[in-house]
Amino acid sequence: MTRLRADRRRPMTLLRAVVAELRKTATLPASAAATAVAVLGPLGITVLNAFSVRNAIRSGQPGLVAYTSPAEAAFSAAPLGTIGAIILGVVVISSEFTANSPDAGGGRQITATLAATPRRLVVLAAKAVAVVLNVLAAAAITLPACLFVADFVIGDLATPDDLGPTAARAAGAALYWTLTALMALAITVLTRSGVIPLIVLIVNSSLVSVSMVLTHVTTLAYYLPDAAGMRLFADDPLGEFEHALAPLTGGLVMAAWALGFLAVSSAVFTRRDA
Amino acid sequence: MLSISGLTKRHGPRTVLSDVTFQARPGRVTGFLGPNGAGKSSTLRILLGLDRPTAGTALIDGRPYRKLPDPIRAVGSMLDGSGAHRSRTARNHLAWVARAGGVPKRRIDEVLDQVGLAGAGRTRVGKFSLGMGQRLGLAAALLGEPAALVLDEPVNGLDPEGIRWIRGLLRGHADAGGTVLLSSHLMSEVAEITDDLVIIAGGRIVATGPLTEVIAGHATLEEAFFALTGADR
Repeated sequence: MTRLRADRRRPMTLLRAVVAELRKTATLPASAAATAVAVLGPLGITVLNAFSVRNAIRSGQPGLVAYTSPAEAAFSAAPLGTIGAIILGVVVISSEFTANSPDAGGGRQITATLAATPRRLVVLAAKAVAVVLNVLAAAAITLPACLFVADFVIGDLATPDDLGPTAARAAGAALYWTLTALMALAITVLTRSGVIPLIVLIVNSSLVSVSMVLTHVTTLAYYLPDAAGMRLFADDPLGEFEHALAPLTGGLVMAAWALGFLAVSSAVFTRRDA
Repeated sequence: MLSISGLTKRHGPRTVLSDVTFQARPGRVTGFLGPNGAGKSSTLRILLGLDRPTAGTALIDGRPYRKLPDPIRAVGSMLDGSGAHRSRTARNHLAWVARAGGVPKRRIDEVLDQVGLAGAGRTRVGKFSLGMGQRLGLAAALLGEPAALVLDEPVNGLDPEGIRWIRGLLRGHADAGGTVLLSSHLMSEVAEITDDLVIIAGGRIVATGPLTEVIAGHATLEEAFFALTGADR
């Protein structure tokens, strides 16, 4: 009887926890910064890309740019959105473990979080849901805006894009951001501090991708988390990545990585002293 | 009723708690007294489900904290200050706690008012003094109108007026039938507030019972404390 009652409450506890996590995210300046990076970053790069395409075409030298399609100008800016997603995934966890100054008691928010929601899997699931909703919302604004801006800047000079494949790439980019954010969240559960995951993940997705370096050694490196999903949104106009996984396969492999990371972090988070 | 029974906690080779057993009863203020590092916080962290014991149980009306359906409506707690992120405002902190705990929104203003932070609800927690942080922590503890309060060093950083205020608050809570368990290393404060006393030293309980019984045979609580903990060397 009591058992039954407890089980009935569980979905409500999760719903409450999700709403609480959404509120936390909305009122944390660091997550606002993450959203700003995810929205404004790709838009800015898209504008730059689109102008260089337009200038190259207008000057009669389209060979100077790798592509002349607006979609390409927009999707090659998508890695900036990945960085925003990484920041969001990291800060949602690291903010729980940031200690207040000793002058204010030196406490950490995780104490308050677990006092209100002692079931740790519920806490982690609620955080994952909040991150997914935030990333998808950012993608829903950013990607159409980037496509629109690129199309507007390049205008009639563009190589036209087909709607179907472009929409699929937009969905793919949103999925890539979401899965990356979930992996960043899971890794930060293990480290608790956000510093190392932020540095490693941002460098890896902007300056040097370790996976892409390794693809020169073995094509198996295309199965690594960040490389697996690259074709979700990235075309290969120069034919550099012929061994990259196809979008569907790559997306599934990347999703499997994200689930794996989440499984490990759940196991650690439920067993570890807070 | 809070029942702690046979609690042992080891961190590798180090034993932090050994066989800690005591109760905190409704209608009473129970003071949990011990030197820094004696195991007070470890005991309270286990009671609140934050850390796992190596052995033993810590129950709230017969259930572990993690199994309580609405934990913050049963137990209000404060450990290490407010537990609020420094870049969030006091009101926003209480708002998510209320959401997560299933507590109606109107309670946010009520508790801010009750702890004397009505004017600071829109201030970022990073700008709070230690005393304000303690008051915010208490506000969060009181949010769910819980029957039991578990407070780690609640008078830390409070000014004399604040100490007087919290004494009245805790007394009122116990007199209304609530349970209060508070830890402290400040003997004079504990002597003023508590009905029952639990003294811990080196991870072991060295005395439990009504304040008068524990002090019996000594001039003051302070003398009793040093005699019992053997810290007066």
